[in-house]
Amino acid sequence: MKVKVKLYGMLSLHVPDYKPSQGLEVELPDGATVTDLLAHLGILETRGAAVIANGRVLKMDDEVQDGSSLDVFQSIQGG
Amino acid sequence: MKFIRVNMSDKSIHVEDVPQEYAGLGGRGLTSILVNAEVPPQCDPLGPENKLVFAPGFLTGTSLVNTSRVSVGAKSPLTGGIKESNAGGTIGASLGHLGITAIIIEGGASDEDLSLLHINAQGEATLIPAQEYRGMRTYALVEKLLTVYGEKNSVMCIGPAGEYQLASASVQSSDVDGRPCRAAGRGGMGAVMGAKGIKALVIDQRGKNADAIANPQAFKEAAKVVVEAVLADHMSAEVMPNLGTAALVAPVNAMGAFPSYNATKGQLDGWEKISGEAMAEIIKKRGGKTTHRGCDQCMIHCSNEYVDKDGKYITSSLEYETIWATGGMTGITDFDVIARLDFLCDDIGLDTMNTGVAVAVAMDAGYRAFGDAEAAVEMVEEIAKGTGFGRVLGNGPAAVGEHFNHPRVPVVKRQSIAAYDPRGMLGNGITYATSPMGADHTAGNLVGAYLEHKLDPLSPEGQIDTSRFLQIAMAAFDCMGQCFMANVALLHPDGFGAFQKLIEAKTGAQFEDGYFPFGMGTRILKAEKEFNRRAGFSKQDDRLPKFFYEEPLPPHDKVFPISEAELDSVLEF
Repeated sequence: MKVKVKLYGMLSLHVPDYKPSQGLEVELPDGATVTDLLAHLGILETRGAAVIANGRVLKMDDEVQDGSSLDVFQSIQGG
Repeated sequence: MKFIRVNMSDKSIHVEDVPQEYAGLGGRGLTSILVNAEVPPQCDPLGPENKLVFAPGFLTGTSLVNTSRVSVGAKSPLTGGIKESNAGGTIGASLGHLGITAIIIEGGASDEDLSLLHINAQGEATLIPAQEYRGMRTYALVEKLLTVYGEKNSVMCIGPAGEYQLASASVQSSDVDGRPCRAAGRGGMGAVMGAKGIKALVIDQRGKNADAIANPQAFKEAAKVVVEAVLADHMSAEVMPNLGTAALVAPVNAMGAFPSYNATKGQLDGWEKISGEAMAEIIKKRGGKTTHRGCDQCMIHCSNEYVDKDGKYITSSLEYETIWATGGMTGITDFDVIARLDFLCDDIGLDTMNTGVAVAVAMDAGYRAFGDAEAAVEMVEEIAKGTGFGRVLGNGPAAVGEHFNHPRVPVVKRQSIAAYDPRGMLGNGITYATSPMGADHTAGNLVGAYLEHKLDPLSPEGQIDTSRFLQIAMAAFDCMGQCFMANVALLHPDGFGAFQKLIEAKTGAQFEDGYFPFGMGTRILKAEKEFNRRAGFSKQDDRLPKFFYEEPLPPHDKVFPISEAELDSVLEF
């Protein structure tokens, strides 16, 4: 399956060739989870990634839906 | 360790040892417990019975990094209750290095009086007539004061808004570059300072009389745990130095909890133009600074310098809550205008949040259109001019709502909410409703818990307990003088224990397990609640405005579902 991914915070530094204006199209095996997506992107757990789709923060074991648009942020405790 | 009491009625200054009941306290704990003990709760906040307390954190002035915070406390002219608002910059460290636990401004000056309080490197305090500085805005004032008294001074001051004693008046604090761009913004502490007839504190940075550390080795070991935790966390080590708190715009908007157009929507059209990522791009392109050290002893560098198209300084530091209040709430998506509004608020001496939301309420009432950048700048300038409408606006969103008879006013205890809508982040709504400070995100912010999947922001489950825990933890943390950006240390398995060890190492005393944060945090919250109760507050004041319960917020189309009984249980201890 394919999903569209946009990266925020400083995550683009950790994903080679990422272009903010275009985002990424990522191909994943059926049944892939958020954890699988982050591993595929090479984003380590220590980066504090949070994946949001349709206004909801996904859990790490949530399955990614084919054709979905996913925004990946870094968690922040407040401002 | 000493208190400096300054009586503005007779211009006397007394230095005293810190009484035993304040041992181990600094910052918010000290200001709140002192205000509760010494200020008559029913008093006029702008009258002589109120006291204005400046207290660096308990760890400020030590070798621990990120500790240059100073708390400003009094009865608030905005909320009518107890208030603590803290600021960064350099003055916290300066007071700490002088061994000053608190400056307590008492009594009241006549309307004609205006003074500044100068404290030299030996810790000697003097009141100096300051008539020549009357009406000055803060940037020009601080530049002048640093010329007169020397660059090695820290300044905390008010602008015209404080002199007018407006309820949104801030106390501005000078940063490491000598600019008054740091603020104790909330609750109108600038108005109390204006009522006391104090234009500025000018504090020598070269003090060498910091409190002794009883057990230096234990202090060093505990400090190491805190520093390592701050260095290891992605927020403090990676996101803050590059994007600052503005990095929150994108995720909070994506979650549908970014209050926009006076909290009628949870997502802003054109939010991409005012994101942290967009800000960094603009600053870099123009030759400004995306990374900047704003505060003494800071190792995080979350500050920035926003510049115009010619590379000329506009403001520092442009932060999330300001971008939201002057951008999201007003529908303005031009960063140059937002930066200008931030500068104006700092220069006039205004809380950017209460002021941005006041402008948004006026727009929502039909006074001007959402997104009208020129009107927003004109309105804020009007506050400085002291016109009738300027004074309404400078008294905050509740005053603006009353002026226009407009009911959608996002405040609790008359203080504006922050950049997290209660209908999109239920726990933040619980904190707004129940904090003794009024709507205050720093009192217990759950956004990290939502982004880390610990809680569902739209489900009531776990919100009460988390808000309660964070309110206790932040009450204690706000005593330490530590910057919020360093609170990631508390996420470390030994984080709370490290702070308890730091307190024990400085005092030489032993406290029961869990004193930090539970013993300390609950003691402070109890004092604050007691003050508010005696000032006339009841449980009915611990509620959100009606529209949060009635108007669903797009995109999730939810209202705030937490019951009154549940809210009443939050700080019941």
